[in-house]
Amino acid sequence: MSPNYVAKRLVMIVYTLFIVSLIVFAITQILPADAAVMMLGENATQDALAALRENMGLNAPVWQQYAIWLGHVLQGDLGTSLRTGQPVGPVMFEALGRSLLLAFLSIGLMLVLAIPLGIIAAVRRGKIADMVVSLISYAGVALPEFVTATVAVLVFADLMKWLPPTGYVPLTENFASGIAHLVLPVCVISVILIAHVSRMVRSELVDVLHTDYIRAARLKGISRGQVLRRHALRNALLPTITIVALDVGYLLGGVIVVEEIFAIPGIGRQLIVAIQARDLPAIQAGVLIMAATYSIVNFIADILYAWLDKRIQYD
Amino acid sequence: MLEMKRRFFLAGTAAVFAAPALGLAQTAKPAKGGTLRISVDQAASVIHPLLTRVNPEYLVTELLYSNLTRLKVDMSVEPDLAESWKPNDGLTEWTFKLRKGVTFHDGSPFTAKDVVATFKAILDPATASPGRNNVGPISDIVAVDDTTVLFKLSGAYADLPVAMAYTNARIIPASIATGDLKSLSTKAVGTGPFKLVSYEPDRLIVVERNPNYYDPARPYLDRIEVQVFPDISAEGSAMIAGNVDIISTLQPTEYLRLDGNAGVEVLRTPSGQFCNINFGCDTAPFNDARVRRAIALTVDREAMVNFVTEGFGTPGNDTPLNPSYQFFKAAKQRQKNIAEAKKLLAEAGFPNGLQATLIASDRPAVRTQLAVALKEMAKEAGITINVQTMPHATYLEQVWKKGSFYVGFYNMQPTPDGIFKLLYTSDASWNETRWNNKAFDALVAEARGTIDAAKRTELYTKAQELMNEEVPSIIPSFFDVLSAKRSWVSGYQAHPRASVFRLDYASLTDKAPKRG
Repeated sequence: MSPNYVAKRLVMIVYTLFIVSLIVFAITQILPADAAVMMLGENATQDALAALRENMGLNAPVWQQYAIWLGHVLQGDLGTSLRTGQPVGPVMFEALGRSLLLAFLSIGLMLVLAIPLGIIAAVRRGKIADMVVSLISYAGVALPEFVTATVAVLVFADLMKWLPPTGYVPLTENFASGIAHLVLPVCVISVILIAHVSRMVRSELVDVLHTDYIRAARLKGISRGQVLRRHALRNALLPTITIVALDVGYLLGGVIVVEEIFAIPGIGRQLIVAIQARDLPAIQAGVLIMAATYSIVNFIADILYAWLDKRIQYD
Repeated sequence: MLEMKRRFFLAGTAAVFAAPALGLAQTAKPAKGGTLRISVDQAASVIHPLLTRVNPEYLVTELLYSNLTRLKVDMSVEPDLAESWKPNDGLTEWTFKLRKGVTFHDGSPFTAKDVVATFKAILDPATASPGRNNVGPISDIVAVDDTTVLFKLSGAYADLPVAMAYTNARIIPASIATGDLKSLSTKAVGTGPFKLVSYEPDRLIVVERNPNYYDPARPYLDRIEVQVFPDISAEGSAMIAGNVDIISTLQPTEYLRLDGNAGVEVLRTPSGQFCNINFGCDTAPFNDARVRRAIALTVDREAMVNFVTEGFGTPGNDTPLNPSYQFFKAAKQRQKNIAEAKKLLAEAGFPNGLQATLIASDRPAVRTQLAVALKEMAKEAGITINVQTMPHATYLEQVWKKGSFYVGFYNMQPTPDGIFKLLYTSDASWNETRWNNKAFDALVAEARGTIDAAKRTELYTKAQELMNEEVPSIIPSFFDVLSAKRSWVSGYQAHPRASVFRLDYASLTDKAPKRG
C-alpha cells in the first residue's frame, strides 16, 4: 500500500464531504417550512419574523448563504442552533461520542459472540448447532429494533427489574449506573449485528473450507483445528471487516430507533430533533459529521484490509 | 352560585381522581429535602423565559422565575411577586404592590424597575416574545416607586391579574432586559424557587433550591431533575421502575398502562384543552353558516369523546369554553341530526351533498384521528371529506391560519377572554377561522371591561350562543389533562391549564428513594 494511495483516499473523503455539504444545503432549502416561523412559534409577529430572517441571513441568495456557511465550517465553526441558541458543533460532537460509545460496545459484543457462532455453524454444517445458530441469526435479522427493544425493556426492566429501563447517564458522572443503562441498548443493537455477522462468517468459512488449498492442507495431515486457524479463518474473516465497517454506518444512522426508545441523546436522535425543528445549522452539521465519520471508518477498514492481505495492491 | 358550581366541578373531579394525594397533602406537613425527578416528552430547547413555547419549557422557567401572579389549580389567581393589586374604576389602570426584600439569583434586589423593563421587553416586537399578545392591552408601564407598578391599558381589561400569570410573563432583571437579553438563552437569573444547576436541552435539566426564595417555607425539595423522554413508553417504564417520580403529561394509552401499578398514582383533571375543526369563514362553501352548521350537526359528540380522547374527555358544544373556565354557563347541547343537516345543505345550495378536503397535521396524532372520525360521521349527510395529513412543519407553513378546512389543537387558556382573543375575535392574534363577527367582538370587548362576575357570565354566554349558531369551528370534545406520580410524591396535582406545574408545592415522603 503506497502513501500515494492513502493521500488519494483522503482527498476522496474531502471531496465526498464537499458533495454531501452541497446536497444537504440544497435539501434544507427545499424543506417546506420557514426556519424563522419554526423558531418563533405560532405566535410570531410579522416584524419579528422579518427581523429574525435578516438576522439569520435567510434573505441572502442561497449561494451566498452556502459560501458563508462553508467558510465558517472550514474555520471549525459549525454554526449556532436556531433552536437552542447554542453552538451546534460541540452539541453534535458530544452526541456523536455517545453514539460511538454505543456503537463500539455493540461491535465489541458482536465480535466476541458472532465470530465463534459463525465458526461453529460452518464447521458443524448441517448439524443441530448450525441449525440453532442459523435460526437465531434469521430471527435476529428479521426482528426490527423497536420490537426487540420494547420486549427487552418489558422483560428485563418492567418485569424482572434487573436493569434500568431507559435513560442515559454519562460514564463520567456515575460509571456503574452509566454501564447499567447501556446494557439493554447495546444488547438490542448487538442482536442484529450478531445475526448479520455470524451468517457472514459462516458462509465465508463454508466457501473457504471447500477450496483446494484447504483440501491440500488437510491431505498434508495438518489437524483440523490448525487448518481452521492458520488457513481458513484469516481468509474468511477478511470480508467481515468490510461488513463491520458498513455496520458502523448502520450504527450511526439506523440506531435512531434504539436511541429514541432508550432516551439516549446520540447523533441520530439529535438529527431527528433538528429536522423536526427545521434547525438548519444543526441539520447541516449533523449530516456532515455523520458523513465524515462514515468516510473515516471506511477509510480505516480499507487500510486494515490491505494491511491484512498483502496481495491486495492499491495504487 | 355559578362560581360555586364551577369550583365544585373542579374540586369534585380532583377529589375523585387524586383523593390519596390530596389526603396526604392536607394532613401531613410537607417534608423538606430530597431530589425529585419529573419527566417530559419533548426537549426543553428554550430556557429564555420570554421566548418559551412548549410545556417542558414552561415547566423549567416556572421553576427558575416568578411572575407577578400565578394560577391555582382552580384557575383562580394568587399573589406571586405582586402582593396585591387594584384597578381604577374604568379598569384601564392597574396598580400592583410588589413584595419587598426579594432578590434575583445573582443577588441583586428585585424592584419595580425590573417589572417595567421586563414588560417593555415582552412588548417590544424585536424580542419576538410569544407572550406579546397575551399579557393584556398594555400601553404603558410606570414604576411609581420601588414597590409599586402602574399598568396603563389601551382599553378596559378586567383580567389583567390573570394575564400577569402568563407563561411568558416571567420577571427578569432590568439590567438584562435592557442589556444582553440573549444571555438568558443559556443562563437563568430569576427570583424563582429554584436555581439552574445544569442544562442539557435534550437530556437533563437540573435545578436546586434557591436558599433566598421569598417564601422561607417553600420549596420543599432540594433538587429537581427534569428528564427528557422522547419515547412515551420508555417514560412509562421509567415511572414503573421508580426512576421517575412525576410524568408531566401522559397519553391515554400510557395512563391505562400505569394505572394499577403498585406505587404509581395516575392523575386526571378536566380541562379546556381541545382539538377543533376550523372553517375558513371567508372561503366558499364555508362562508355560508348553514354549511358549517350542517357539518357540525353530523357530529356524534359522545362517540368523539370515546374515539378522539379515548374516553378521557368531555363533549364539546362548538364553543371553546367548558366548565373548567370561569364565567361558564352550559347552553343546550348540540345533538347529531342528519335530517336537519341535509336540510341546511339543501338550503345552502348543496342538495346533492358536498365535497371537501380536510387537512390535519401529524402532531399530535389525535388531529388525524379527529379528521377521520368526522369523515365517517359526515358521510351520512352526503358530505364527502377527503382527509389529508402532512408533517407539522409543513402544516404550519402552508395551512395554519391560511387554510379553509383544517384541524387545530389548543391548550386551555387562563380566561375566557384569553381563548376568544387568541382564536375568534376579528383582531385575534391567531384568527384562524377569519370569522370576523362584529357582534361577537363587541360582546367580548364589553366583558373584558366588566368586573361583575354575573354580568360577565351573561356576556360570555351570549358570545357562546352566537358561536354555537354560526360555528366558525367545530369543537367536538375537550381533553382531560393526564399525568402520573409515584405515591411517595405529595402536594402535586394535575393542572387544567397543562402548562402550569407548581412543583414548589411538591414534596417527597420518607418512602422516596434517596438520590445523591
